[in-house]
Amino acid sequence: MFRILKISGDSLTPEYRNGDFVLVSKIPFLLRPVRAGDIVAFRQPGYGLLIKMVERLAPQGGGVFVVGTQPDSVDSRVFGEISPRQIVGKVIWHIKDRIA
Amino acid sequence: MIYKLLEVIDQKFGLERARAHCDIPCGIYDPITAQIAALTVVRMIDLMADLESKGGEKTMAYFNSLSRYISVKEEHAEKAKAEIRVIWGDFLKAQHLEKHPETHALVHQIMQLGSKVRQTTDREAALQFVEAINKFAEIFWDAKGIAVKRAKAPYAPNLELVYPNL
Repeated sequence: MFRILKISGDSLTPEYRNGDFVLVSKIPFLLRPVRAGDIVAFRQPGYGLLIKMVERLAPQGGGVFVVGTQPDSVDSRVFGEISPRQIVGKVIWHIKDRIA
Repeated sequence: MIYKLLEVIDQKFGLERARAHCDIPCGIYDPITAQIAALTVVRMIDLMADLESKGGEKTMAYFNSLSRYISVKEEHAEKAKAEIRVIWGDFLKAQHLEKHPETHALVHQIMQLGSKVRQTTDREAALQFVEAINKFAEIFWDAKGIAVKRAKAPYAPNLELVYPNL
């Protein structure tokens, strides 16, 4: 239901940095479906558990296009859209080691 | 304070990592490694056939040679598959795939042939493996905007390979 994850990598900098913690959950999706701007954790074959930002939803088929904020991010530009079933949860709390 | 608490929990229990993965864009990609690995598979099948055709007693030396050929065939088939996966997954982008929509099916075919040449000593499958990787090389060099040529490899089994025409 809830999961605490530690971020590894820099593809979502500057907002989400290497070493930050996030609390993710699927509960928000009970209230409204995934939408652009959501930060989501998902499992991707070959890459494992990833965290990216939803850029857009496919008009048909339900595919979710996820991206990082850095140009060399490995994301949907590399592996294509993900299925909503791959999503582990949406970030509902961001715990960072610095003053915002 | 919450961060510090989570750090302690992480150190003690090891929280799961969510990778905000970036690829280090070294930019060094070349299908020749896969092409040579596929050639090696054909070469190993040829060497196995030569060994078998000599007949005679199956000595320790025979089994030693045979097992070495099999081992190298396994290793290079897997190496070719891995190299193709990296170029396909990391280098080729949407615009390349739009230009060459056959790429996904071709990569899948390479994966299947790579498995077949590990499982069998089917030379015809090994030749198909080389040719499928040649076709992938043509797509790769086209994506780089570099013309290609075909030439026979200057070593056994002297099969035709796709090379960049630099």
